[in-house]
Amino acid sequence: MKKSDVIVIGAGLAGLTAAAAVSLQGHSVTLLAKGAGTLAFGGGTIDVLGCYDGRGLRSPKLGFEALPAHHPYTIAGKQGVIEAMFFFQKLCSEAGYPLEGSLESNVWVPTVAGTFKPSCLVPKTMSAADLAKADHIQLAAFAGLKDFYPSMIVKGFQRVALYAGKAYHTVPVETHLAPGRDITVLDIARWMNTMAGQNNFVSQVKEQIAPGSYLLVPPVLGTEPNYDIWQHLQERLNCRIIEMAAPPPGITGMRLRTLLLHLLKKQKIALIEQAHVSQAEIQSGCCKSVTTKHFGRERTYEGDAFILATGGFLGGGLVAEPLAVKEAIFGLPVASMLAAEQAAGDGLLNAGPVFQSGVNVDEKMRPLDLHGNLVLENVHLAGNILAGYDYCAEKSGNGVAVVTAYRAAMAAVGREQL
Amino acid sequence: MIKQTTINKCTACTSCVIDCPVTAATREFKGPKLLGPGLERFRLFEQDVEASIDYCTNCKNCDITCPSDVGVSTLNMLAKNEFYKRKGHRLRDWILSHGELFARLSSPVAAIANWGMAFPLTRMVLSALGIADRPLPAYHKTDFYQQFHALRQQPYEQKVVFYPGCYIGFNAPQVGMDLVHLLQANGYEVIVPDVVCCGTPVVSNGYMDEAREKAQHNIRALAVWAQKGYPILTCCTSCGLMLKQEYLELYDIEGSQQVAEQHYDAGEFLVELKDKGQLKTDFKAIEGSYLYHAPCHLRAQGIGLPGLELLQNIDGMKIAEIDAGCCGIAGSYGFKKEKYDISLAIGKNLFQAIKACPGATVVTECGTCQLQIGHVTKAATIHPISLLYAAWESNKQASSEAE
Repeated sequence: MKKSDVIVIGAGLAGLTAAAAVSLQGHSVTLLAKGAGTLAFGGGTIDVLGCYDGRGLRSPKLGFEALPAHHPYTIAGKQGVIEAMFFFQKLCSEAGYPLEGSLESNVWVPTVAGTFKPSCLVPKTMSAADLAKADHIQLAAFAGLKDFYPSMIVKGFQRVALYAGKAYHTVPVETHLAPGRDITVLDIARWMNTMAGQNNFVSQVKEQIAPGSYLLVPPVLGTEPNYDIWQHLQERLNCRIIEMAAPPPGITGMRLRTLLLHLLKKQKIALIEQAHVSQAEIQSGCCKSVTTKHFGRERTYEGDAFILATGGFLGGGLVAEPLAVKEAIFGLPVASMLAAEQAAGDGLLNAGPVFQSGVNVDEKMRPLDLHGNLVLENVHLAGNILAGYDYCAEKSGNGVAVVTAYRAAMAAVGREQL
Repeated sequence: MIKQTTINKCTACTSCVIDCPVTAATREFKGPKLLGPGLERFRLFEQDVEASIDYCTNCKNCDITCPSDVGVSTLNMLAKNEFYKRKGHRLRDWILSHGELFARLSSPVAAIANWGMAFPLTRMVLSALGIADRPLPAYHKTDFYQQFHALRQQPYEQKVVFYPGCYIGFNAPQVGMDLVHLLQANGYEVIVPDVVCCGTPVVSNGYMDEAREKAQHNIRALAVWAQKGYPILTCCTSCGLMLKQEYLELYDIEGSQQVAEQHYDAGEFLVELKDKGQLKTDFKAIEGSYLYHAPCHLRAQGIGLPGLELLQNIDGMKIAEIDAGCCGIAGSYGFKKEKYDISLAIGKNLFQAIKACPGATVVTECGTCQLQIGHVTKAATIHPISLLYAAWESNKQASSEAE
């Protein structure tokens, strides 16, 4: 049986962040991972609170007051949100990949769907605050790139008041990648990782754009969490380059995951991949250990505290069964909104209530039953397993992951009062 | 079995594409998502064979990264098997996936065989067959089975079964002997049953029926011991993964569940002894700096990195994890002429990281990872069990000198 101070279950953004926070406090961590979570293929921008009641928010802070009592941000408290964001920004900066933005104002990230998505902390490459000032916007159109349609993007932008009157221009780029399969942003990002790819890009784009102009690109500026390629290209082309958010594989999430994994390796935490946690041993309201079972034997991991960051329906933390939603490992009481969802009717985007399903927690992120009683003393929850928020409608997914991961980590090591 | 149980869990999230080392290295490969769970849906009705499946190395990174528990790699291996059923095999593939046969034939005359393999005329023939121009692993003059049977073990009540596998059996027998010595020192008697190749090379070269025969033989030989509750140890991470996971994914053989449950990676077994306070830990750090490379087939086992853990626990041992991904060899894959460059491209980051630390010895469980790393970087390589045994011996020597 292995023993560590804290066992973190789940290796998405919440699990990786919690493991980093615990480890940086000097405690031993075992991270049990079943798959890479949604961070690997997602956008990797830290959206804290982008929308409220269906409308975009100028600043995440403006929305906090209006959130219900059981929303994870209300439970973490304003100070809790600020501390977590500070921690995360510091962590990324120290790893050489500082994120831009603050809780004071949302940034609007252009997307390949021709929309603008509100976010809070974003890679410098995606920070588009000054884009509205440009009167001329250029779009890099990589030949054969999947899910990237310049005319649709322009059409979308022109529907946005600030962007309606601008001139748009497409800059065709040919990658000459070998045939064999579709070209995705991942292929182009890997092409950009090479000096030959960068040189090729510069030579094609240079003649087509005016110095000082704005060039929008899909997320293709390399796969590594640093700004080397971006800076290098900007200097050589003498223009502003802005990366747009894209559907999976979103590249920017992959960079963030690489950053966090490298950090955890540096901290020498024990990462157990393919660890399928199946059950927990509970003694008088305390979790003693969790057991993994996949192929072969069961293996038991003992800890003083546990952080449950197994995700929602997609990550496998919550399991939907006919007329019931279950929490997969501890069998925690789930505040399910199935009835509400049925009332809301059909339609993917009307599915809000089901996204709010999850487990209610106290201020130490510990699970509560449906009457508000504490269920487990030393189990702390983080990320999409939590009840009370709708990441889709609020644009708050990664923000809640970071905030609750940090809170859970601090509570797990007994430092919740900073 | 795996088809019905896992394909519908795939949400096409692209996590496997992101972490696939082959997809990163070549555009010839259409990727694990499309070729595995994607096309499998069509294959439920009729065989839809896609030639680029041949590029899959079965490294298991897709399984490791999948958030939805889809058995991506084995779906790909089943598809590869179908592909070869139609296309037919090359002589080269048969040769590369039957290393055990050659080893059993050549071991008695290892010196001649090794010389013969390096002989220019042999190389020309191998090249014409489609084998890459790189050194083939040399056979040891005394294979593991000979060395083991020549050893007089101290009998003990506690017993473990050791499954050596081909590489340790015929190419690197010292690793197996080092394990036997360590186990003896800790009060265990070692049993080596009559086993054959685990089947990893035949599975990844599309000989699924042959793999079933090997699985049946091995399960029969091991299940008797598993039923007695004896731990079954492997030092080769690919053999280990076969015994513990792939037999269960591919076949329904009686006893395979028991074998899987009794299987331990050798490092894992020693760590467990250590955690129970039963491992004699009188190790003395070995001079020099060491870099640890985690084989993909170890990462896929769900047991962390026990070899690294054991070595990191020795006071004064300078060992750091490389953390730079797959080496690219994938057993026989890197020996194929048309795959050789891809295999080097896959391992590029790893080689760079190793070359950045000149003089360091690379520690890794997998024999073919060692071959690849040694071939490309010229770094010395060692199995963690051998290094651990050296640390044990070094302490014994130091204490006898002190007396």
